[in-house]
Amino acid sequence: MALPPPPSLPSTLRDPKSLFFQQDGIRRAIIASYWALIILALPLWWYTTSIERLSLPSTRIQQLAHNHLELPIKICLETREGTLVEQVKSQLLAGKSQDPLRWKGLAPEVIGSADCGKYAESGAYIVKFKSGTPMSINDRELHIPSSSEYTSALANTLTSLIAPYSASSDPDNRVVQYSPHYRLAFSLLNEDAAAGDAVLGWNIQAAIRKYINPITQRLSALHNFTVESQVQFHAPLAFLPRQLDDVYGIEPADLTVFVNSAEWTLSSSSSNDPVLHFILFIPSSQRRPLRILLNDGKSRDSTAFLLPQWGGIVIHNPPTPTDAALPSQALHIVFSSFANQLSSLLGIPVLPNNIDQHSDAGVSDWQLDALTRRRTLENAEGSRDTLLSIVKLVNQIENMPVGPDVRDDVEGALSAFHTMSESASSSLAQAFAYSAQSFVLASRAFFSPGMLALLYFPAEHTYAVYSPLFASALIPLLVAALREYLAWKRERKEKLEREREKRE
Amino acid sequence: MVFPLAHIILWLSSWAWVARSSQIHEEAASSFFERHAISTNATSSTHTNNWAVLVCSSRYWFNYRHMANALGMYRTVKRLGIPDSNIILMLADDASCNSRNKVPGSVYANPGRHLDLYGDNIEVDYRGYEVTVENFIRVLTGRMDSSVPRSKRLLSNERSNVFVYMTGHGGNEFLKFQDNEEISAFDVADAFEQMYQKRRYNELFFMIDTCQANTMYSKLYSPNILAAGSSRQGENSYSHASDSDIGVAVIDEYTHFTLEFMEKINKTSPASMKELFDYVDSRIKNSRPGVRTDLFRRPLDTTRITDFFGGVAQVEIVPPLDSSMAPPGVSSSLAEPPQSLQSKPNSMPSAKAQTTSGNTTWLRLWLGGKTSRAWASITVVGVLAGWVASKK
Repeated sequence: MALPPPPSLPSTLRDPKSLFFQQDGIRRAIIASYWALIILALPLWWYTTSIERLSLPSTRIQQLAHNHLELPIKICLETREGTLVEQVKSQLLAGKSQDPLRWKGLAPEVIGSADCGKYAESGAYIVKFKSGTPMSINDRELHIPSSSEYTSALANTLTSLIAPYSASSDPDNRVVQYSPHYRLAFSLLNEDAAAGDAVLGWNIQAAIRKYINPITQRLSALHNFTVESQVQFHAPLAFLPRQLDDVYGIEPADLTVFVNSAEWTLSSSSSNDPVLHFILFIPSSQRRPLRILLNDGKSRDSTAFLLPQWGGIVIHNPPTPTDAALPSQALHIVFSSFANQLSSLLGIPVLPNNIDQHSDAGVSDWQLDALTRRRTLENAEGSRDTLLSIVKLVNQIENMPVGPDVRDDVEGALSAFHTMSESASSSLAQAFAYSAQSFVLASRAFFSPGMLALLYFPAEHTYAVYSPLFASALIPLLVAALREYLAWKRERKEKLEREREKRE
Repeated sequence: MVFPLAHIILWLSSWAWVARSSQIHEEAASSFFERHAISTNATSSTHTNNWAVLVCSSRYWFNYRHMANALGMYRTVKRLGIPDSNIILMLADDASCNSRNKVPGSVYANPGRHLDLYGDNIEVDYRGYEVTVENFIRVLTGRMDSSVPRSKRLLSNERSNVFVYMTGHGGNEFLKFQDNEEISAFDVADAFEQMYQKRRYNELFFMIDTCQANTMYSKLYSPNILAAGSSRQGENSYSHASDSDIGVAVIDEYTHFTLEFMEKINKTSPASMKELFDYVDSRIKNSRPGVRTDLFRRPLDTTRITDFFGGVAQVEIVPPLDSSMAPPGVSSSLAEPPQSLQSKPNSMPSAKAQTTSGNTTWLRLWLGGKTSRAWASITVVGVLAGWVASKK
């Protein structure tokens, strides 16, 4: 300092100690009020920065893990022979213990009665023994000749009708996963219409009415279908077919890359529903006939193939000269294939070879019931798994928010699941409807956009974010409080000493 | 004076302890899943469809090579048969339309500009500022608003093989998105776990080309994931070549050799993932690429490249009348004549561009150990408080 300090303060300046806000009490009150504000604001800060995590019914969901759905199947044999009933019963049970996967969730129950008609209303399957007729099915009835060779094979027939889905029946996971809505996209693709002899149109509306609608209407309880169709005039292949003597062949390896997804536009992307594609491919007139080759290079009879879970393809070699529109006979062949492919993609089981079908309904009650049971069990399992994983993820990822919409969907899925378990014994259709509802709600809860977890935010990031914000404000406050505390302690000590001196 | 200081230290150390203990739980969970993953074994893939998510997370002209990386992968998966509807391409910037691009509308991954990666048939699903960590995680987990169109969604199921490719600037356990955010290895691991829980994949192949890329897959814990990265912790991933007309590096080394190998593959090729990794390992010079297989069920030498990069795996021939089945899973030894992506060697020495945010070295020192980080912050606060208090 340039000037020496004055011995005492001039009268124009006031002693800092005399300033009213420097009085001990007021100064301490000011510091304390800062601290009070901070402490009062803490709950607000906590509330605004914490993530909304509503509690889920976890214990009830954990209980689902042990809740395995059993769908009862009542079979009534119209006979008075008690031994036959026992025989069929024990054979079915033996089959169930041999292949538990095939019978998972199915509980067959065999009864014998002279008049099975009274069980028909409750959805029971009735086996009638009639001499002189071939084995056939009608509604939920199985008519079987009463000779001994048939009755001994009865258990096997019943197995293939009731539990048709074994490990060998769907080796490639051909059947699409359940969805309440599907889109069916039918495409007529000309490899190169400019080469001449192209098929320029098809009577798609009539064909769909005749071949596809019977299936979709029969399955209307399970799925909703939207149908779209298109005709394309230039749809090149991504590979060159092999030229044989008089035919062109597609190698087995090329079949997997037959669909030229880079250049074919196969469906509109107007919705998020799964699409099943059906393609009628007309080879260019310069490459006809086009056939599918076997591994040894010989051509196959079949010109239709199926891509698991994706759709079906039929190659049609029209005769020259070609009609501009597909003739009805060709349409019949093509759409019979499409109908076949559609049923196998949707998982409609194939009837055993030796069974005749009475009605022209297409899909029999036996098949529809088997499919409904399969979908019910799938949905129940899917719903249970989804609910369990929601609970698991919410526990595991601490930053994952759980909003009211998620909680409501989870509750809804859970109650639908319980209703399904209750109605399983009375009505299959109802059990299916509730299983689908439960699955859809559980999936919606899982995919709720609000459930996106906050990003990984470790402790050191917390320091890094908060210290520039709070350290500059908190450290002076902390130090001020510390100094006041020390000053207060010193004062008290001096005061005590003074008092002691006074007493002495 | 000592009393409040001790309090602060006590409080802070308990905080650090809690942060550490939660990490121990995570490790226990991940070891459980690893055990679970090894319990089953299969040799051929059981998928019926393929999906690809390709991400370039860097902006700006000088990151041209990252866009070329992602576009090169896009071209390859599309050529090998994944339809555009099953490819989610995320490009954080549009190099083809940059005013500095001497060949507007095109992106090249080689100095001679032989192969236009942009082409006339490209579908970028997320572009520019749409490429965010949030959107990426939404794509993976499927947690989308209902208004998001089909082309922006990953609609995979439990029979899908998913290929996830990421490129950009990164560091130890993070990848930078745009200029303002980053995704950590933990986020990626959690997103994959959520996919696994909802059965959104059958098998997943995660490939990442960035600095210290192998740290990005170190935190994964869900089963059936194969992961590959371009460089180990502490290593940088470098660019491979630059074009003198474009003026910047056009591709990264790791992706370049991956694509070079892929050019010899066609849709029906039986080449295995092991061949790919061996090839890249033997060519790459400036970093040591890594592969993580402990979560993956199948041996690499029987895992086909087309299981992840290709289209359909199986067909079934359905005779119209006879219902007998054809044997699935057909193969052939058809091989197209190999065509190299980089057909002419460039005489100009290729400039090395460093794929890292410049401050890695001190960052790495500082981020050395979790515990040391926690203790360092305690010390800093303690020293500050002690210093002020002792000044009096």
